[in-house]
Amino acid sequence: MDAKRGMGVMLFCFLAVLLLAWPVQAATERGFDDKEIRIAAWGPQTGPAAPWGAVARGSKLMFDIVNEEGGIHGRKVKFFVRDDQYNPSQTVAAVKELTERHGIFAFVGGVGTACCQSVYQILLDNKIIWISPCSGARSFWDPHNPYLWNIWVTYEDDSSILTKFAVEKKKFKKIAMLYQNDDYGLDALDSVKYRLSKYKMELLTALPVEPTERDLSSQVAKLKASGAEAVIGYCSPTQAAIALRTSVSTGFRPQWFHSYNLSDYPLMNKITDGLWSKEGVITSGFFVPPDADHPLIKKYRAAQEKMAPTERWGIFYQAGLVVAEPLVEAMKRAGRNLSTAAVKKELDSLTDFQGVGPKITWTATNHKAPKSVQIWQAGPNGELIVLQDWTVNEISRH
Amino acid sequence: MPFEQLLVEGLAMGACYGLFGLAVVIIYKTSEVINFGAGEMAMFSTFIVFHLLTFYNCPFWLALLSAIIFAAVLGVLVQYIFLRPAKNPTLLSLIVITLGVEMLLMGFASWKWGAEQQEFSLPISYMITYEPIEGFIISQWALAVFIIAAIVVAFLYFFFNHTNLGTAMRATQQNKHAAKIMGINTDRVFAFSWAFSSVIGLIAAVLLTAKTILDPQFMLEPFLKAFAAAVLGGLMSIPGVLIGGAIMGLLENFFGYAWPVWKPITAFLVIVLMLCVRPSGLFAKHWVKKV
Repeated sequence: MDAKRGMGVMLFCFLAVLLLAWPVQAATERGFDDKEIRIAAWGPQTGPAAPWGAVARGSKLMFDIVNEEGGIHGRKVKFFVRDDQYNPSQTVAAVKELTERHGIFAFVGGVGTACCQSVYQILLDNKIIWISPCSGARSFWDPHNPYLWNIWVTYEDDSSILTKFAVEKKKFKKIAMLYQNDDYGLDALDSVKYRLSKYKMELLTALPVEPTERDLSSQVAKLKASGAEAVIGYCSPTQAAIALRTSVSTGFRPQWFHSYNLSDYPLMNKITDGLWSKEGVITSGFFVPPDADHPLIKKYRAAQEKMAPTERWGIFYQAGLVVAEPLVEAMKRAGRNLSTAAVKKELDSLTDFQGVGPKITWTATNHKAPKSVQIWQAGPNGELIVLQDWTVNEISRH
Repeated sequence: MPFEQLLVEGLAMGACYGLFGLAVVIIYKTSEVINFGAGEMAMFSTFIVFHLLTFYNCPFWLALLSAIIFAAVLGVLVQYIFLRPAKNPTLLSLIVITLGVEMLLMGFASWKWGAEQQEFSLPISYMITYEPIEGFIISQWALAVFIIAAIVVAFLYFFFNHTNLGTAMRATQQNKHAAKIMGINTDRVFAFSWAFSSVIGLIAAVLLTAKTILDPQFMLEPFLKAFAAAVLGGLMSIPGVLIGGAIMGLLENFFGYAWPVWKPITAFLVIVLMLCVRPSGLFAKHWVKKV
């Protein structure tokens, strides 16, 4: 009898604990309650890639604006930022901590292809909304992931449009390439070759560069010897700046083209002693230009000056707003009855949505990034000149 | 092949590697420790120049002079705080300590000045170029590197051969205990060699920044190249390390021109080949301890 009573008490305690825990667990899984929606981002706030950490802080500005305007259907956004130091193992730790301890409704952004890939499966398994990795890598949309929406234009599309501009608009016949020796540069190299083949042209030479290299004298000597009139560069800001400095110091002055990753002109001018503007470097860009006379840019810049005055208004910071905009829009459209399914449905039906990023159209089976970019040039006084408006890669292979 | 350009650029970068290699060799000559923190010590001192220029609008030469004093103090502090207290240290444990110093300084610099690339202009410019012979373009930066490297080498030659302190440093390296018996304050010699090394590292780093970019990682790769130059020339030989630097610079440029994909491994190849074929380097005498 005592044993039965003991068992009964234990069963009661177990059920009581289960019942008490159940509502909390349910709320945690959903990532929101009646008062708040929990959204998160990771990014390198310290370490070698810290400049890109501005993306997560840009997203914070978006949710600060949302909260100041009263939240979304009465709910305030609680935004979490975790510093992963551009280290995939720390990204995994941060995402696990956020999802298991706080319960996150959605993630925005995410810097670094490897960091994003390290948490891809965790977010997919938990069916957590994710907009969008800051990477143009193919693995984020192939195969289709129903909970991940892409905004970052692929390097394949980007480099193809840049090459088309160099050949058709600038009439360059002798083109060479300097590419980072990883997926970023190799994707672009393949695409540039493909685009040139359409004009029955070939690259004069294509030279690899490692992200850690600090002396690019031999690469520049080879570019110069090739007789290139234009060089397409797919490398990091540091290597692009060193290549430009070295080419000027050796009297080699081609027209440089670079990817949208190097479209932070104030930064590039700063680290090239103004050569970025003096040499009129051309880049692609897939945001509304950061100094554009655009109502949303004006609104965000005013908010940044008020809420985050120590931040520099630059392209990385704007990227944080770009990845947060579609989520805010979808949550607003979903109404008071918030759920992952409701927001997913709204995201899947976004058509020609544009904030300060590119024009986005997603469907239930297509979460790919847009295929269009603008062409920008660094003007002589440091200003950004839009050379060509949004252009679609008409020979995109995806 | 643009032979002239590869030659000039290779020799200029090689002179920087050689200078920086000296910073490694000076410590090795006195204590047989490879200082893996040399790059970050130089980086940190360069950020002091940057800080004085940017936030205090100091004239360049005053900022550089202040940073030289800072670098000397930093060298002494690193030796005094981190290496000297090590109890019964093995060579390996001392090397591990220098790795710790490297991480500490890089973390501190990232925290203090941020990881973003910084604007850093010198009075010598890579944009000003001269063409004494047709096709032979040399920048003001490359000229300055050659001149400064020559001055530093002349000074070191004089210092090690004609001053008491230089002789004391050589004696300490050859036999620490005998040097002590002869009345040499070896602790002071070690501290001085760290200060000396730190200052030469700063000079090399400032020259390198003028061509590359200032950020907390900027000395990682040059350190590897300088280390390769030191191994090539001989870790005990000052002229050897400079010639090793020049060979390294030329090798990297010509090799990188001919086989661009393999350029990043040049330094590793040099280190591995030299350690296999002639571990003491091209110009150092191979000391064998008799027991």
